[in-house]
Amino acid sequence: MKELNPLLHSQLRLAIMSILMNVEEADFVYLKEKTESTAGNLSVQIDKLSSAGYIAVEKGMSGNRPRTSCSITAEGIKAFEEYVDALKSYLNL
Amino acid sequence: MEERKLTEKESLEVITSMIARTKARYFGSGNILCMWGYLAVFESILIWILLAYTHQNVWNWLWFAIPVIGMPVTFVMRRREKRTYGAVTYSDKITSRLWSIFGISEIVLTLICLGFSLIGGIKCWTAMLVYTLIAAPVAEIAQGMIVKEKSLTWGGIVGLAVGMVTVCCVVGNIPLLAKWFMPLFILFWVVMMIVPGHIINHKTKHQK
Repeated sequence: MKELNPLLHSQLRLAIMSILMNVEEADFVYLKEKTESTAGNLSVQIDKLSSAGYIAVEKGMSGNRPRTSCSITAEGIKAFEEYVDALKSYLNL
Repeated sequence: MEERKLTEKESLEVITSMIARTKARYFGSGNILCMWGYLAVFESILIWILLAYTHQNVWNWLWFAIPVIGMPVTFVMRRREKRTYGAVTYSDKITSRLWSIFGISEIVLTLICLGFSLIGGIKCWTAMLVYTLIAAPVAEIAQGMIVKEKSLTWGGIVGLAVGMVTVCCVVGNIPLLAKWFMPLFILFWVVMMIVPGHIINHKTKHQK
């Protein structure tokens, strides 16, 4: 049986990856709203996923406000697909 | 949501829940469509009145005010919408690129027509009219199919019919007389932009 990727096998990181699999790009506020997480925790998990190369983070300005935009990378898509495959084998799907 | 280890079943629940949350259909804003529609209708009426009262063809240059005003306003509105929604979906990206291609092709065609006019003294501005009346509806039909919004698809189909009639008139040397063509041209913008724009705004409002 395949091992579940420990980086993805966490509630918030998995939620972030699931959202980014569905949209081309999402900003920090959108991710915070959809995952119902705190800004601090979300920021830490985004950094972890970014360090692993699973997501790309772009920091910029939108009008007068700072804007952090996230998108999934090819490596992230591969990791997510492998995670779902492993999950299927665990759940006998 | 916390950062904690999950069981396999919980993992699956997180994935399906997030997919459902991001899938909640976002109609977007119809404000950009309305802006183009009202701008074109206002310009058409203004030019129609000016031409009728003064009989000076120079007023036709005012047609360029549509893209000159519309393009930067669209850019600003699009940025604002992106900030409001917070995410860009694949269909957003495709439709945005579709309209960008249309916009760029209009600019290129303008330059070609200008070149013909300045270098060869050939007036081929009708090509711009025909191109707009065919290409814009095709882009709108495509957008309607991508975002599954019938008002856009049907608006585009009606617009395309107007475009086809115009092509036949131009090729058949039937003069596009203001008394019948201007109302048709205004109808084109109303059906193509204003009506779908308000329908989309209505749907978005009732979705919240």
